[in-house]
Amino acid sequence: MIAFFRSLFAPPRHLILLLVALWIGLALAEKRSERHGISRDALNNIVYYSLFGYILGGRLLYALSNLSAFVQSPLSLFSPNLDLFDPLAALGTAFLVGLVYGSRQKLSLWPTLDALTPLFAALAIGLSLSHLAAGTAFGSPTDVPWGIDLWNATRHPSQIYELVFSLLVFGWVWFRKADLRPGILFLTFTALTAASRLFLEAFRGDSTLIPGGLRLTQIIAWVVLALALFASESLRSVAKVD
Amino acid sequence: MQQTQRRIIYFVVLVLGSAWIFVSADKSGTSTSGKIPAPQQGFLAPDFALKTSTDETIRLSDLRGRAVLVNLWATWCPPCRAEMQSIEKVYQEYRDAGFTVLAVNMTNQDTLSAVMPFAREQGLSFPILLDEKGEVAHAYQMQSLPSSFFIRRDGIINEVVIGGPMSEALLRTRIEEILK
Repeated sequence: MIAFFRSLFAPPRHLILLLVALWIGLALAEKRSERHGISRDALNNIVYYSLFGYILGGRLLYALSNLSAFVQSPLSLFSPNLDLFDPLAALGTAFLVGLVYGSRQKLSLWPTLDALTPLFAALAIGLSLSHLAAGTAFGSPTDVPWGIDLWNATRHPSQIYELVFSLLVFGWVWFRKADLRPGILFLTFTALTAASRLFLEAFRGDSTLIPGGLRLTQIIAWVVLALALFASESLRSVAKVD
Repeated sequence: MQQTQRRIIYFVVLVLGSAWIFVSADKSGTSTSGKIPAPQQGFLAPDFALKTSTDETIRLSDLRGRAVLVNLWATWCPPCRAEMQSIEKVYQEYRDAGFTVLAVNMTNQDTLSAVMPFAREQGLSFPILLDEKGEVAHAYQMQSLPSSFFIRRDGIINEVVIGGPMSEALLRTRIEEILK
């Protein structure tokens, strides 16, 4: 079944899974946006502007950091190659565009992030499925009975672990009680995602290691988890004082 | 939940999290794929030996020390045809710096008589290898054409680009990385 799924969504078709997740996530987020005091139009606009920023920023900043290659063939700037892209710069640009749009429209930060949380949770599911299809984010070699054959070894099915955890987190986001304070939904989603990353990274076979064999992603996930817990505690304290 | 209880839980979670980081550390320091041959970034490029149209045999592992682009292609594949000129251009540009191209034709899915006329027409000067039994297609788990594997001087795959045509800028940035 996994082999069939992988052949059906082999790269570059694995990106379809991300697009479907984006579409479903946006539809779900729209459905609940009014609960957070954010109109459907505002939610749609912030997503589309951020997406535009993501695509444009990812390509332009990639071109800037590889200027000599683009100077020799400037038309490559418009190439359909998805690999001419800087994903981190794209995320940064999308965040900035969203922030600028949100502040111009006077959208409150925490309710907006809460309204967007179902979209983020759906994207996490799409990402794990695209990892499974492309065979990226693969597990370390193992002899557990549920290991999968991938890249010429039996490995932990790290992409399936990731999928199960992202489904659980999505389940919590979607079926939680509705009366959370502003910001708590987003921060709990962030904390749960960081905690699952911290746990699951141990089973990955492609971790970036730092001295001592420590996995860089786990350290980043721990910091994000700590910040999310601290911020949610601060929000609760502020709400109590008010 | 009371504030104090919640704070204790957060504290315990963070302590357990830090312990897990140390427990799950990869002491061997070889977490990233190592030397298993597999057609994926970070792995050793699967070795192969194929004949060219002039009956010369080229083995990938003999090119260790050079940066290599293994490009899987066929004459009936429009993006494969479209990117050949760009590959030729960058091959001329970087060959003296230690870069080479192995254009592996999927001969078992192509017409042999069409391969060399196409190469001549395009003025391709890099080796065109003929995969008549589909061995390389199998070893590289080919799903789409073209598929390009950028291999570092130590034989490790630095990047896999599936689909095309690859632009010159993409080729240049990837070649400069594998030449480092």
